[in-house]
Amino acid sequence: MKTISIDNENKRNNFLIPFLLLLSLIVLPLFIKHAYFMHVMIMVFIYAIVAEAWNILGGYTGQISLGNAMFFGVGAYTSSILLINFKVNPWLGLMLGGICAVILAILVGFPVFRLRSHYFVIATLAAGEIIMAVFLNWNYVKGATGLELPLMEDSLKGMTFSYNKNGFYYIGLGMLTILVTLVYLLTKSKLGYYFKTIKEDEDAARSIGINTTAYKLVAISMTAFFTAIAGSVYAQYLLYIDPAMVFPTSLSVKFVLIAALGGAGTVFGPVLGAFILIPISEMTRVFFGGGGQGIDLLFYGALIVFVALFKPDGLITLFQKNNK
Amino acid sequence: MLNRKNKLMCYLLILVSLMFFNFSVAAEENVKIGLIYPMTGAIATVGGHAKDAAELAVDIVNGEYPDLGFDLAPTAGLPNLGGAKIETIIGNSQGQPEFGRAEAERLITISKVSALLGCYQSSVTKTASQVAERYKTPFVTGISTAPELTERGFKYFFRTTLTDAIFADNFMTFFEDLNKEKGANVKNIGMFYENTEFGVATLEASEKAAEKHGFNFVSKVKFPFGSAELDSEVSILKQDQPDFVLSSVMISDLILYIKTAKTVDYNVAGMAGFGGGFMEPELVETLGEDANYFMTRDVFSLDLIDKIPLLGEVNKMYKDRYGVNFDGNSIRAFVGMMVLADAINRAGSTDKEAIRQALTETDIPADQLIVAWKGVKFDEKGQNLLGQGIVRQILDGELKTVWPFELASADIVFPMPKWNER
Amino acid sequence: MNLEIIIQAIISGLSIGFVYALVSLGLTLIWGTMEIINFAHGDFLMLSMYGSFWFFTLFGIDPLISLPLVFLISFIFGVLVYKGVIKTILNRQMLSQVLATYGLGMVFQALALFFWSPNYRLIRGNFLKGTFRLGNISIGIPQFVTSVICIVAILALFYFLDKTKIGRAIKATTLNKDAAALVGINIEFIFTLVLGLGIALVGMAGSLLSNFYYIYPQVGALFGTLAYVVVAIGGFGSVQGALMGGLLLGLITSLTGVLINPAFKYAAAFLVYLIVVLIKPTGLKGW
Repeated sequence: MKTISIDNENKRNNFLIPFLLLLSLIVLPLFIKHAYFMHVMIMVFIYAIVAEAWNILGGYTGQISLGNAMFFGVGAYTSSILLINFKVNPWLGLMLGGICAVILAILVGFPVFRLRSHYFVIATLAAGEIIMAVFLNWNYVKGATGLELPLMEDSLKGMTFSYNKNGFYYIGLGMLTILVTLVYLLTKSKLGYYFKTIKEDEDAARSIGINTTAYKLVAISMTAFFTAIAGSVYAQYLLYIDPAMVFPTSLSVKFVLIAALGGAGTVFGPVLGAFILIPISEMTRVFFGGGGQGIDLLFYGALIVFVALFKPDGLITLFQKNNK
Repeated sequence: MLNRKNKLMCYLLILVSLMFFNFSVAAEENVKIGLIYPMTGAIATVGGHAKDAAELAVDIVNGEYPDLGFDLAPTAGLPNLGGAKIETIIGNSQGQPEFGRAEAERLITISKVSALLGCYQSSVTKTASQVAERYKTPFVTGISTAPELTERGFKYFFRTTLTDAIFADNFMTFFEDLNKEKGANVKNIGMFYENTEFGVATLEASEKAAEKHGFNFVSKVKFPFGSAELDSEVSILKQDQPDFVLSSVMISDLILYIKTAKTVDYNVAGMAGFGGGFMEPELVETLGEDANYFMTRDVFSLDLIDKIPLLGEVNKMYKDRYGVNFDGNSIRAFVGMMVLADAINRAGSTDKEAIRQALTETDIPADQLIVAWKGVKFDEKGQNLLGQGIVRQILDGELKTVWPFELASADIVFPMPKWNER
Repeated sequence: MNLEIIIQAIISGLSIGFVYALVSLGLTLIWGTMEIINFAHGDFLMLSMYGSFWFFTLFGIDPLISLPLVFLISFIFGVLVYKGVIKTILNRQMLSQVLATYGLGMVFQALALFFWSPNYRLIRGNFLKGTFRLGNISIGIPQFVTSVICIVAILALFYFLDKTKIGRAIKATTLNKDAAALVGINIEFIFTLVLGLGIALVGMAGSLLSNFYYIYPQVGALFGTLAYVVVAIGGFGSVQGALMGGLLLGLITSLTGVLINPAFKYAAAFLVYLIVVLIKPTGLKGW
């Protein structure tokens, strides 16, 4: 294996693999038409988006949140309610959902960012649980009964694709690409630099004059926005949501698991995490779940422990040149 | 250029793609039916029982049972399809709507099932049947009772079981009968329900039914599913003093409720569930005598064997195979599967449109059923209107039919004896 | 809303509060000494509940009697888990620790599901049963005994941490790991001991809980989540914090249930947690 490499070649190589991957994903639907396969891919994209979104706050800024499902759910509910009650176009609803999530993020972030480390983590968990309880008991959004979204005519404008999975596939892929690009640009930007500084040593950052709270709020806003729009797409795809589906802590934890398994604090880690974890969880359920004996859970859990013990920086390290 | 990194990528891609193309390799002549139930998770036992019951029905159809009273029992397989056998393919919903949906899609598009049966929880049935509707695949639910399932204008969705609305109405009639014939004085009703789709739907159905029949709701206690304790909830019921408490709660919280009620000595004249934990065999297994006198709405009761001999025979088969008797959930899965098999047979093919048409023409007489219904016939919304509910009470550790009084195999014990009188 | 209901709610709240405190003792000890979030805490509880159940069902040993046995086995199990898993992730990032312990919890749940099925189990016919009644106020005897044992355990823990050599070594390590190492304390030994002790404590909680609560593979979920809140309210590493946090949580859930709406029981607890922690970020300890 060549160990000598020139800078330019390095840069080219860095973009080559992701570009090839994107290309293959774009043309994939032309070759594979299996609806179930496409369904899994759509879920992969949605989870990749929320994991990557979590990554902004958690991986880069070092604030581990176990409550991100609250943004996911707020996005899903906002666009759904707007559609059902006010006939608002799903794309517009999606944007509004994102804005609502940002507002929530700031409201929650402001007090909670005063906390450090483990206290912060538990606080995000508590906040998430409170939001879930609110929606579970709120009659306007039909509480535990959930919302059934109307099946409209197929159209891109209306974000409805009844028989063809390609629509949601490309929406998911598109959003993911935008987010990943954004995160990449973030790592090269001053904002990203501040985020990383906060993660490294928040006190030091503050002492040199960085307004850490402000930057953390920016981070959580970005995270919230993208998590929320993924929630909207999810709702529009499934056409049914209830609080137990979009708000539970277990979902928040799933976001973290995917990001961490893949590699938190890297651009592609969360994406890799989704590409690996989601198909595996589907597979284990399909092959082992029928017996009801929990073998699928065992497999899934063992994988997580394995990665945590032996590849703590995430599976992305398998693909990086400098392995220790 | 095949360095380690790229090799790994290739392997990964191959592995992933392999996973997607290795699915069911069954014989082509079989009629494939997908079953979607919770096979893991908190309600996995219910899912397991339902699946077992459905598979028993399939076995009866596939095998030769000349002495069994079903039309499809004597012949092997489905006669109108040249003896083709039914093959069931299981999907695990894990009790969640998202997975129920995924399994439905998988079963339809990859396993190529001709119809689906499922999913126990109404919230899971909602999403799974939505998928089925889009793929124009007949979907029969044997157990899900949320009224709105048949209000969606679906063409491929059929429900054999009664809805919560009917069960709620049954309860009110039951109260009226209690007042008339047993000298009870039930006026004020309370409801103890979990904060889930099941709980809320049954509460709403009960409110409507109560208003229609002129009963007062004096207590509505909604609690978080899976609580660590239920002290406050029982305290509130104790304070509100309803004459009768209706309830929608799964077995875990029910066990806790009963233990708490005993501890604080909360006595109510009668308590009946919309199924849930009240009809689970595990209730008596875990609580023993303390489970006595609680009631449940149901469609099935072992003691109906006297009135329905076919029930006795089939239950024996079920018990021999799986070690437990039927319960109100598993039996409805059985009925659902038999109805589906009957429809496919009349359709004479695995074509989904033909099956759908046959389902709309379903007209099964009471003597072909092992539940005490008047028959199975679907209205234009896909709802079976001939179902009948009964009320059962746990007496001496067994659920016995106590209402309608004509069908009762035991005298109802009302009011329930107080805790210190047991 | 009469006085009686409120008094009953307070008694019930304190009663379940002691349970929460007992469940959280092990967690706060581990957290305080090793600074690691153990996301499998609830699942350890679940395992010990099953342990107690099987001792009763297979060998007829009453949970009260098997309590010391469960305590011991949990201790050993804790040591094994330390050597096998925890040790490796001690110095890793918090995220790694979350991942590892969460995965471990999943494995426990899966094993329980596989070996013991999802069916609900309940111990019946055990020694602890019945009710204490004073007028119209009741408290279950199992819950009462659990509360008493919780207090005894806390007192014993205090004594251990304050008056014994090992205990003081643990305290020192909690305060400042490096300084403790400097004065010759064997940190590795302390960590092993603390994890063992922490798991043993949650094992004790599970054993007592099995006297009156039902058992199934996911039973640890709610208790685990509440334990994190209890420990965070009380302050990591603080035993009296765990007690105060547990009792506070119990009272909040109970009073919210009767005064507002049972559907908000736990939401109220989380809300109070947020309020406490925003006023006093390091928790109630030193209050």
